Amino acid sequence: MDGTIEFTMGLSDGIAWPWPIAVYLFFAGISGGALAVALFIRFYKQQTTNTPFLKAASLVSFATIALGMLCLVLDLTNPLFFWRILVYYNLNSVMSVGVIALTAYIPLTALMALFALEEEIKQIPLLRPLVPVIDKLKGIRRPCEYAVLALALAVCAYTGFLISALVRFPIINTSVLPALFVASGLSAGAAAAKMLAVGIFKEDLHSQDMKILHGAEWPIMFAEALFLFMIIMSLATGNAGAQSAFEAFHTGTWSMVFWLGVVGLGFGGPLLLNFATGKQFSHSSQAFYLSGLCAVGGMMCLRMFILYAGQNFAI
Amino acid sequence: MSENLERRRFLKFLGAGSLIVAPLGCSSVDEDKNSNQPHYIMVFDQNKCVGCGDCKVACNQANNLPEGKSRVMMEQQSGGVEGQVCPQCGKTSCECERKYVRVSCQQCQNAPCVTVCPTGAAHRDAKTGIVTMDKAKCAGCKYCIAACPYDARYINKETDVADNCDFCLESKLAKGELPACVQSCRYDALIFGDANDPTSYVNKLLAVKDSVRIKSHFGTQPSLRYIPIVKQGV
Repeated sequence: MDGTIEFTMGLSDGIAWPWPIAVYLFFAGISGGALAVALFIRFYKQQTTNTPFLKAASLVSFATIALGMLCLVLDLTNPLFFWRILVYYNLNSVMSVGVIALTAYIPLTALMALFALEEEIKQIPLLRPLVPVIDKLKGIRRPCEYAVLALALAVCAYTGFLISALVRFPIINTSVLPALFVASGLSAGAAAAKMLAVGIFKEDLHSQDMKILHGAEWPIMFAEALFLFMIIMSLATGNAGAQSAFEAFHTGTWSMVFWLGVVGLGFGGPLLLNFATGKQFSHSSQAFYLSGLCAVGGMMCLRMFILYAGQNFAI
Repeated sequence: MSENLERRRFLKFLGAGSLIVAPLGCSSVDEDKNSNQPHYIMVFDQNKCVGCGDCKVACNQANNLPEGKSRVMMEQQSGGVEGQVCPQCGKTSCECERKYVRVSCQQCQNAPCVTVCPTGAAHRDAKTGIVTMDKAKCAGCKYCIAACPYDARYINKETDVADNCDFCLESKLAKGELPACVQSCRYDALIFGDANDPTSYVNKLLAVKDSVRIKSHFGTQPSLRYIPIVKQGV
């Protein structure tokens, strides 16, 4: 750039947010996405029983957000300082708002898992003390479900807002990012939960829930592709800073992650497995698991790409 | 008669209205108070800096920073140094004039690090308006480091919390001294003072010298001014 005076050195020694943050964004997206999709179906179909998909989604949701928190805490310069973020608040900070959302969301996902897995908990002697707790809280299940649905979507979007506040990275500093993260969270969350539903909770591959999911997956994936396209176009046609960041899509290692991981694995994989193979294979359980893994893997690549390529191309 | 009544009613409304409007108007007094607050700025004169690095050493000592770390760096922008490639022309020996630039916290008036900090550890000192750190509140999330458009923040390896140049707020300004780097500069390349004080030297200097701010397009309103070398040769 042609400024009269600029400096290019920095004091921070490289990338501020390394891979644990990308993994956290990945886990938080899956957690919010899985639970949101399961609750959408529950409300839409007016289900009252604990369906295998709801069981799987609530389990996935709680496990991933817990792991995500672990990543977040371990990435602090000193994990023992974690309590400070829970004690001091700055409501101007997206992160602080997210912490407030997460402190409500995490216990509620645990509660969702308790409600959904009631039968399983009754069968495990170690967890039996939880049964009276579940019975006592049953009365507030419905309001909790509404609250957690809102919070699940908020957590997905928040991970996007969290990083889009970083003004110096054109790939990251875009208003479409939260929408992209919600869409990719929904698709990967649904994929993760449905694999678990079939694998552990013995859901039929062609059940009604699976049919709804199948119907919803493609539009969500289309939205995701559209949001990505918007970001790419705004960079390609943007100012000098945006154009220099556009390079991330065609040069260097991270462009490979984008084209092979995000586009190839995430979009190409499920599409090919479902439409380019014979009917017998595309309806098999191998194709089911493979396309689920593709969706989840693609989402991980997306988070990695956004975070690393984003931070590499600063203005 | 009716005219009289109208006038009386009008005056009544005027009186009642003023009771509502006046306090609103008075709330702007706050801003007037703020204008008495100092706005500390630093001017770096590129024409005078020779890149000796004394400022770095002084910063390190004044703020008890870990070995080899300081809150300020010098970037060499052009000119050959024995055994080094000139950053401008790429040759090992060249006629380019040596040019250095100060790299440090820009003390933004609209500071992204303060906005994003989830705990309020990165904050603006109430008395001086200087952006500084409350070490006891920092959780080490590095959000401020990612948010700073100048990449001017870092993690202090000894305290495990984020750190930035705060014009020696605790170490020197509190004692009424100038920042350590300004004191140590033998070439008067650094000038420090209150821009809100019309009699201050920085004010007089900036009135006669052209100065620029780095990456002003981010809208962060940095308090560091740079006087660049603009001459292209003799």
